[in-house]
Amino acid sequence: MNLDYLWHGFAVALTTQNLIIGFIGCFVGTLVGALPAIGPINGIALLLPIAYTMGLPAESTMILLAAIYCGAEYGGRISSILLNVPGDAGAVMTAMDGYPMAKQGRAGEALAISGISSFFGGIFGTIGLALFAPILSGLAIGFGPAEYFVLMVFAFATLGSMVGSQPAKTLIGCAIGLVLATVGLDPTSGAYRFTFDQPELSEGIEFVVLVIGLFSISEALIILENEGRGITVIRELGRMTARMSDLVKCTGATMRASVIGFIVGVLPGTGASVSSAISYTTEKRLSDTEGTFGKGDVRGLAAPEAANNATACGAFVPMLTLGVPGSGTTAVMLGALMLYNIQPGPMLLTERPEIVGGLVASMFVGNFILLALNLPLVQIFARVLTVPNWLLVPGILVLSVVGVYSTNSSIFSVFLMMGIGMVGWLLRKAGFDMAPIILGFVLGQITEVNLRNALAISGGDVSILFSSTICIVLWILAAAVAILPAYLARRARRRALQAA
Amino acid sequence: MSEHHEPSHRSMRLIGRATAACLLLFALAYGLVATAIDYAFASDPLGPRVFPLGLAAMLALLSVWYFFSPGPAEGYPSGRLLLRVLGIPLVMLAAVALFEPAGFLVSTFVLTFGTALIFGAPPFKALLGAVGQAVLWWFVFSYVLEVYLPAGALFGH
Amino acid sequence: MSNSLIKAILGAAVAAFAFAASANAEPAKPECLAGAKPGGGFDLTCRLAADALLKTKQIAAPMAVTYMEGGVGAVAYNHVISKRSKDGSLITAASSGSALLLAQGKFGHYDENAVRWLGAIGADYGVLVVAADAPYKTLKDLVEAYKANPADFAIAGGGAVGSQDWMKGSLLAKAAGQDPKQMRYVALEGGGAVLTALEGGHVKVGSGDAAEMVKHHMAGKIRILAVMAPERLPGDLANVPTAREQGFDIDWPVWRGFYVGKEVSDADYDWWVQAFKNAMATPEFAKEREARGLFEFKSFGKDFDERVKKDVAQFKILAKEAGM
Repeated sequence: MNLDYLWHGFAVALTTQNLIIGFIGCFVGTLVGALPAIGPINGIALLLPIAYTMGLPAESTMILLAAIYCGAEYGGRISSILLNVPGDAGAVMTAMDGYPMAKQGRAGEALAISGISSFFGGIFGTIGLALFAPILSGLAIGFGPAEYFVLMVFAFATLGSMVGSQPAKTLIGCAIGLVLATVGLDPTSGAYRFTFDQPELSEGIEFVVLVIGLFSISEALIILENEGRGITVIRELGRMTARMSDLVKCTGATMRASVIGFIVGVLPGTGASVSSAISYTTEKRLSDTEGTFGKGDVRGLAAPEAANNATACGAFVPMLTLGVPGSGTTAVMLGALMLYNIQPGPMLLTERPEIVGGLVASMFVGNFILLALNLPLVQIFARVLTVPNWLLVPGILVLSVVGVYSTNSSIFSVFLMMGIGMVGWLLRKAGFDMAPIILGFVLGQITEVNLRNALAISGGDVSILFSSTICIVLWILAAAVAILPAYLARRARRRALQAA
Repeated sequence: MSEHHEPSHRSMRLIGRATAACLLLFALAYGLVATAIDYAFASDPLGPRVFPLGLAAMLALLSVWYFFSPGPAEGYPSGRLLLRVLGIPLVMLAAVALFEPAGFLVSTFVLTFGTALIFGAPPFKALLGAVGQAVLWWFVFSYVLEVYLPAGALFGH
Repeated sequence: MSNSLIKAILGAAVAAFAFAASANAEPAKPECLAGAKPGGGFDLTCRLAADALLKTKQIAAPMAVTYMEGGVGAVAYNHVISKRSKDGSLITAASSGSALLLAQGKFGHYDENAVRWLGAIGADYGVLVVAADAPYKTLKDLVEAYKANPADFAIAGGGAVGSQDWMKGSLLAKAAGQDPKQMRYVALEGGGAVLTALEGGHVKVGSGDAAEMVKHHMAGKIRILAVMAPERLPGDLANVPTAREQGFDIDWPVWRGFYVGKEVSDADYDWWVQAFKNAMATPEFAKEREARGLFEFKSFGKDFDERVKKDVAQFKILAKEAGM
């Protein structure tokens, strides 16, 4: 296996500039993870335009965003443990045993143990990513427009498993994203589409406008609605270091959860919320002989934390090797690459090894930074939880406005962002998830352009979409990921019925 | 949870149906505009209209599906809370309108002061917070990050 | 502060201002506007000007490069005309692609007469390329093969229908006696994608620019069959014949230059022209230009203004012939 890219990547990641950027990302990531109101997507959405406007090179921006993403998985545990409110989706299970521990006066210990298991999950996931990434790059040259189109079909098929409970809303979200992606100059025919003679729309809707509108603006409104729900911060942290006996006790759980977490992360369409739940229930089944889970068992705390960090790393595998984002966060990162005119896909590692390598290497470095931030400095972040919303939300709104304005000095974009934010809020309240919209938007143009280019090459003959081995394999995979989750869910339901 | 209540099954269904109807209208309008896309000729067999038309049809069909099985929704706030929630975009609108003519400092003050009040901050604290944020962000963006921001008529050229 | 002191300062300021206005003044805050995102061709043009003018001491303060994305320069064009028509400190990057879009009416309501064309500081030239293992050694081979079986030849370029790459492809199709509308053209995102498509065997012909393709040509990944220049290009491409040499009357220079607002004073306009002329006479400029993969191309003032207008007229004819 060729790991040259990785050594090259360390040279990128260890420059002073990128180390500083990585540190800032880890800090901000832990912060947004810790704040129950805002999650990793918001952190990424708000910092992306600023990084872009500052003229950071693509690899530095990716290092920043990845550090925020990984940092948020670490930080999410802080509010789970101290507030019993998960800081992000991956930290839901952390509260199961973390909050009881905190109530027993062992909050500091809980933070330490979960910090260490986060680190193991993160490092394990990064090693997995480093080994996985080069595997698919050999296929790259075989990818023509037809193969790319079928790859996109595969990416959309994974949506079926992404949000299973309300398929209509997931698919509508995706369609809305695709629709928004058609605005602007058609790269094939040069025609202007849906621009209504507005020059500001001629290059299409800007990615940061969409992401900040959908996530940050609508989030501000939702924070306001959810205010006043009784939340109390646990301030007595107690002993700040983990007991050796506890660490030994949860070694097995951490290992198993890291493996589960990474595998779940690699599968497109599933994320940290799934992996932490699976690893928690696995540990409960395996080792809860005395019924201590849910009452402050350290294993129940370590497992989901190791899992969600490993998942965050695993999620980069489909994104970096295939250009298929498995989650909302990786979709945003993919969009960030495209902002730099970098075509994601199997060619990425061959064409831009400094980006893939730098990213992976920076995640090794980042996990060490995060360990340092999250053990000795965890009290700083614990204090952040007491920042009142009336100070926090205006700050988010200022960052949103400036971020969007700064990318092209256009006030039109800021108004558009607000409009999108309001529509996003309406949709969220109607039960829609925003991630499919981002996914559809990011993949929309690649899908259409490659379909049309494939047909241009074949002169309109549709059989080109089935002509190569890669195409056929991808069609089969797409069918499998579209059908399998539904089948498994039905089987599980039938079993449950039989058992009852 | 004083201002919160779970939406009833009926109101959830109503929200779902209304959203579905809006989406259907949107899909139809989008499809209509797609048929009128102007182009000289296309080098590919599909051209610039076919893909959007396909999307319009897909979105329309999905909206119909959604209409008949609305599923759970969170529901919208009502009463005073609704007014407060709508206050935020209004404050933003004012602040963004002021952004270029009056400059970053004034606009940011309006935005942070207005939203802080909506979030129920004590007026004097909100004032301090808003002035502090305006100055802090100006410093961060202009001097640390070197992002261009309009100074406005009061402070700049 | 005493009244007389204020008067003295005001007087000095007025005098300085009057002096500045009368001479061919160097703008205090020179600015180059790139009508795209950072990193593209307009950015490159602005940076070449900024670096070269500063290094050859034509300007004292560094020239700022600003960006205004939209419509491949259309948004910037409209902005300069409507908001900064009198601003003598602003130059805006343009290329022959801008002339092509003007010819197709894609720059809004304004035509090529709405600005003052300043000058061009370098050029690239169109090339036609095939995969390194393709059987065609000359442009003639390719045209013959194309003629025999046009449906077999997908042509890839880095732009939409109507773009420069598409136009070059249509010139090939016309040379083979085919209707450009029937050409199987594949619009890709930039030259890198064209290279991949050629290497993967997805298309047979690539249309691009010399500066971008030359390194792949030298690396043996592709073969440049012809350069669309009036004479052979220097350096690595000295062995590649021009299209003219091979009997096809195809030229495609891609000049890179600037325009200023319509109402910019003659003094300011002449200052810029002179500054560029001075800078381009130096060896430093040639070094900066070559570092950016551009070939020598000089055209200034009235001469350049006429050239742009001639280009637009010619592109109009070409576009019409191609069925746009």
